[in-house]
Amino acid sequence: MNKYEKAAAAAVALMLLAAGAIFLYAPTDALQHEVQRIFYLHVSSAIAAYGCFTVVLLGSAIYLRNGSLAADRLARAGALVGLVFTTVTLVMGMLWAKPIWNTFWAWDARLTSTLVLWIIYAGYLLVRRLAEPGRQAARFAAVVGIFGFVDVPVVHFSVTWWRTQHPGPVIVRDALPPEMLATFLFTMACTVVLAAVMIAIRYRIETLADGAVTEVPERTAAAAPREPEPSR
Amino acid sequence: MTNSIAVALAVARKDLTAEWRTRELVPALAQFVVLALVIANFGFQIDSRNASSIAPGVLWLALVFAGLVAFGRAFAAEREQASLEAMLMTPASPVAIFAGKALAATLLLVLCEAVLLPALALFFGTTISPAVVLAVLLATIGMAALGCLFAAMVARVRARELLLPLLTLPLWIPFIIAGGQAVQVAMGASGNYDQAVALLIDFDILFVVLTSLAARFVLDE
Repeated sequence: MNKYEKAAAAAVALMLLAAGAIFLYAPTDALQHEVQRIFYLHVSSAIAAYGCFTVVLLGSAIYLRNGSLAADRLARAGALVGLVFTTVTLVMGMLWAKPIWNTFWAWDARLTSTLVLWIIYAGYLLVRRLAEPGRQAARFAAVVGIFGFVDVPVVHFSVTWWRTQHPGPVIVRDALPPEMLATFLFTMACTVVLAAVMIAIRYRIETLADGAVTEVPERTAAAAPREPEPSR
Repeated sequence: MTNSIAVALAVARKDLTAEWRTRELVPALAQFVVLALVIANFGFQIDSRNASSIAPGVLWLALVFAGLVAFGRAFAAEREQASLEAMLMTPASPVAIFAGKALAATLLLVLCEAVLLPALALFFGTTISPAVVLAVLLATIGMAALGCLFAAMVARVRARELLLPLLTLPLWIPFIIAGGQAVQVAMGASGNYDQAVALLIDFDILFVVLTSLAARFVLDE
């Protein structure tokens, strides 16, 4: 096993531990029963997604500043992984909303801004695919990465004076019993580790795809693309 | 600074003169928005009772897609004659050139709105008050800044027709949220008009500043 395979195995093991905590350790919610258990991974992957998009923002800004190819690759990796975690957040949120709100979707501030987030970064990846590969794609995508990050709080802010029915921030309000809080914090930590590992693996793939690594050990070159690669 | 403004005005005048001589874009856009109203009529089954609640939505849908067409064409002539490169080789700053192109495209879209709003009033029976016009014009400023930025970007990308809506529409959403609210209130729905207009002005400032910062990276070769 190379270091990427080890890191991936560790991240998967951590996520299994988190699943154990969610289903076996955390108490059942009095009102929402089993459905509430979606909360742990839903909020964790939302936080991981925001982390990934922060990586995109930083990578894009650094790229526009000094043209560093490494920053651009980091932004690319962050966008793809962030898109995966946003998808997880949206899908799990919809699964939760169906029994609780009796509808999969509501045009609430958070739902709308998360969906817009997803669309913007899907567009980011499309720009990368459609623009001439190289400096031009990198520069255009960096602009999209920065505008996208600005747009999301703006959308969120502008919809908040519509009715909002998404549950408020329970964690900051100290509304969770200790077992639930511990489960949530553990799941969040595991998810963030998973996101970081995925970004590292994706970064490696992007590096190899760029042909920037001249001397690639035979085994690593063959192994890297076999890592669990998130679908585009 | 005065030099940049002169360059921007010269570029805008060039674009408007070209449009005046060919008369291609504005008639096409005017026809487009009228067609959009006709299609909305059949899509919604409009009668005198629901017309005023549907009209704001139709207005924004028509405006957004007309905007996509207008900004998509903004760099078409430059691309076909490869004149953008020549303009960028002059000592004029890319931001001034971009501002001129954006100004011209905005004015053309405003002309198209001058057809859209009366047509809406005619076919949907809504009153076009100064409040509606103000909200639409304020939204146009920010939408034009973003639309021209991405139009300049995709002008040199293959599949530009695909990419322009994908990039522009999500970033226009804040303007449509606030502008939609303002127009709904102005057409008789309940809500806070002043707040929506204040929000539109905030978005205009934010995105015009951001766009002028980003224009350099998009236009530079």
